[in-house]
Amino acid sequence: MSENTATNSRLIATKAALWCLVGAAAVVVGVRYALGLGLTTALTDTTPWGMWIGFDVLSGVALAAGGFVLAAAVHIFGRERYHGIVRPAILTAFLGYLGVIIGLLVDLGRPWNIWRPVFQQNLHSPLFEVAMCVMLYTTVLALEFAPTALERWRRAQPVVRLLRRLVLPLVITGICLSTLHQSSLGTMFLLTEGRMHPLWYSPLQSPLFLISAVALGLGMVTLEGVVSAWLYRRKAEWQLFGGLTRAAAVVLGLYLVVRLVDLGVRGMLGHAVDGSGFAVLFWLELALSAVLPILLFTLPQSRGQPWAHGWGALLVVAGFVLHRADVGGISHVAITGEAYVPALTEVVTSLGIVAGLALVFLFCVERLRIWEEPPAAPDLFARTAFDPVGRQYIGAPWFGGGQRAVLALVVGAIAGVILVEAQVAVRERTRAAPVAAPKNALIVRAQNPSGPGHDFELVASSGETPFDAGVDLHPVILIDSGGAERYVLFEHEAHQGRLGGQTACALCHHRNVPLDLATSCAQCHRDMFETTDTFSHARHETALGGRESCATCHVDADAPKSRAAAKACDDCHRPPRPDATLVRATIELPAGLAPGYLDAMHGLCLRCHLQEDAAAGEPHLGRCATCHRNRFDDKDELIRRTRSVARAGGSGGPGLEEAKGMNP
Amino acid sequence: MSSFAILTDVTKCTGCEECVLACKVTNETGLRDTPRKWQGAATDLSSTRWTTIARTGNRHVRVHCRHCLEPGCAAACPVGALHTTDEGVVAYDPSICLGCRYCMVACPFRMTRYEWGSANPRVRKCILCYEKITGGELKQPACTAACPEGATIFGARDDLLAEARRRIGDDPNRYIDHVWGEHEVGGTSVLYISDVDLVQAGWPSQLPRDAVPELADMVLHTVPTTFVSVGMAMAGIHWVIKRRQKLAAEAAAATAAGPAAAETVTPGDEEQS
Repeated sequence: MSENTATNSRLIATKAALWCLVGAAAVVVGVRYALGLGLTTALTDTTPWGMWIGFDVLSGVALAAGGFVLAAAVHIFGRERYHGIVRPAILTAFLGYLGVIIGLLVDLGRPWNIWRPVFQQNLHSPLFEVAMCVMLYTTVLALEFAPTALERWRRAQPVVRLLRRLVLPLVITGICLSTLHQSSLGTMFLLTEGRMHPLWYSPLQSPLFLISAVALGLGMVTLEGVVSAWLYRRKAEWQLFGGLTRAAAVVLGLYLVVRLVDLGVRGMLGHAVDGSGFAVLFWLELALSAVLPILLFTLPQSRGQPWAHGWGALLVVAGFVLHRADVGGISHVAITGEAYVPALTEVVTSLGIVAGLALVFLFCVERLRIWEEPPAAPDLFARTAFDPVGRQYIGAPWFGGGQRAVLALVVGAIAGVILVEAQVAVRERTRAAPVAAPKNALIVRAQNPSGPGHDFELVASSGETPFDAGVDLHPVILIDSGGAERYVLFEHEAHQGRLGGQTACALCHHRNVPLDLATSCAQCHRDMFETTDTFSHARHETALGGRESCATCHVDADAPKSRAAAKACDDCHRPPRPDATLVRATIELPAGLAPGYLDAMHGLCLRCHLQEDAAAGEPHLGRCATCHRNRFDDKDELIRRTRSVARAGGSGGPGLEEAKGMNP
Repeated sequence: MSSFAILTDVTKCTGCEECVLACKVTNETGLRDTPRKWQGAATDLSSTRWTTIARTGNRHVRVHCRHCLEPGCAAACPVGALHTTDEGVVAYDPSICLGCRYCMVACPFRMTRYEWGSANPRVRKCILCYEKITGGELKQPACTAACPEGATIFGARDDLLAEARRRIGDDPNRYIDHVWGEHEVGGTSVLYISDVDLVQAGWPSQLPRDAVPELADMVLHTVPTTFVSVGMAMAGIHWVIKRRQKLAAEAAAATAAGPAAAETVTPGDEEQS
């Protein structure tokens, strides 16, 4: 005999937990609609389907299979003794499909288009078949369930009578639709061979899904009976469950045979014994979903025992939920290489949907005639009634079902807000390009700073105290080129001064150059990358002692002072010091010969920049057009163009056109 | 032009990314790529980068939608938001898209990308500048027009196949004798010739042998038959079993006449459910 629901602490605690989950899920779903899927899920371009598809939809449909299986057993095969559990099975199926639809509305990127398949039909799409089946079978389930919901409403009696007369056509339509629907979920994975582990991809996916759904439906009806018996402290229909589990054992056996024979025939069984994690997962799934339940349901020691029904059914459900998750996503990891772990927000949403449906189930059980022996005295959402004379509460206690539900809902919603807040903060971060922040440093200038390049001596980096304050110190910035700890000197003050003082900031800092995360030096210093010689006459002259030093190179005093008549470079530059350069040489050079600009850029610099810049997510030096922009011979023209881009603010309009026009 | 196709010669590509830039400007996907948690690296395909360059060793391989002749994505789309045009371009109509992302799961090359950061997200991928070309705005896709090396060229698929064969024939020592995309997954409109095996440069090693939609199509063809035959079978079984129960009840009534018959299960009980 079941206990009064108003005083059943087990039931009250369960309902509070369910309301709590609903509250949290509601908040998460709200945020998901406002901000999109990226922030509220762990889904990525590589893993576009996650828990909401794998659990809510794939498993949800399969878990609802009990409805058509039991309807078939009773109405088609005449097994009248199961009559008593058809109603709970139909209710479960109906709620299961509602759950699938709710799950889809959450998961679909553009849920307002969910009705489109009715009018835009793609007959080649397994998902179109799925969509139509969901719509039609949900309607059939609603019609099958309607008599139960309406039977106590006197005005609806004509409808109830009509639906009861239509029960056989409805049941047959339901079976047809379910057969198609359960299998079409498998058909969906015939299109995804390219991303599935061979142990799970199978041309027989459709029949495998159908067979497993039948077993899963039987298991789910059993499990649900066992759980609600525990919850309402009522006696479960053990006799009936015994029959269901015997049938389930047969179906599971069939499933096992088809699955293994299919793998064997296609020569894929080798993957099951290759010792990989996926092989382990495969055997775990088979053990949970089929092998262990078959043993529990058929071995003489456990057959017919209540505990064996409960645990066996739980294993079937867990095993096939795992199977759906494997087919729908986990086995894809073998190919895509990206492991997906559902975000907490996803888990909470899925649990919240299940919790909401469980609450509806409990509501129906307490209000309608779902069981032949309904639970006593439902805990109504009663208002607290207070007798001012007697100073006593009348009717419901001061904290009745309604208040408890609201409190749990609010607690859950608060938890949901905290969860979403944490989740969004993590997901909102950009994938950082590993470019280190510039460093401040102090240098002492060398004698002739007017020559090209920089002659300097590093005195101290930022934060250190210069050891010799007597010299002329210049603050400079060292810029990391690609996160490789190779710093390039950048004289910020000098740049600012040359470009026009305080008004010039935007020339570099607001360039919004195509593909750039930050403006690169090369955007202005194109002349450094022209294919010119590395030789600087002026610097050589200074270094060697001014006007008196001509003869150091132009040895023959009678010959014209030309490059051809001068000494070879490697007469002095010998040996070159490869250990002194920061650039790793990737090309072979004759000993003693420095590379020209073309060789240096193409051979020494470009290869590294291509690799390092791509790794840094910042491929600007790798682009040929970065250097080969011969249109700008005139420096003024370059600056004018640069300014116009900067003024346009970057991402559109005339500035964009200018930027595009800069490419030769 | 009968069909739109692209031939990329891997030996000619210098990896300058002018195609990437042209694609971004033409399709207005924004010039910056700031990857978030749901995207790959900055240089991977993303919803703002419909074509990119895969760099392997010292080869550069353009990566973008392959425009399969029998596309898995279009077969997957329940409403035909992704569909093949007469020219063989796999185009996209966001107005009817549900956002189910089945196309992303069904693409054997994994080329489709999604606007995860948007509350009104679209599937993003190369559409071969289809509307701009048919509308007369462009003569060829922005990427092929922008390529300074002529490494990626636009044309009819048959012409490009002939061109690929000609190049391989002219320089058999240089090229591998294979046109990637000619037969794979039923053929693609984006073709590659190369001097290195593209499987080492991001080409999927586990491609389905046949066109992706083939097997599913076979199963889907059985749907009407399945529906009717399951329905008839169920009705038949119901009829047989009810008849047997009725005969058994009549037999029981005949032998043990009187109240015994009333206790036997009779047809019509199912109306109680």
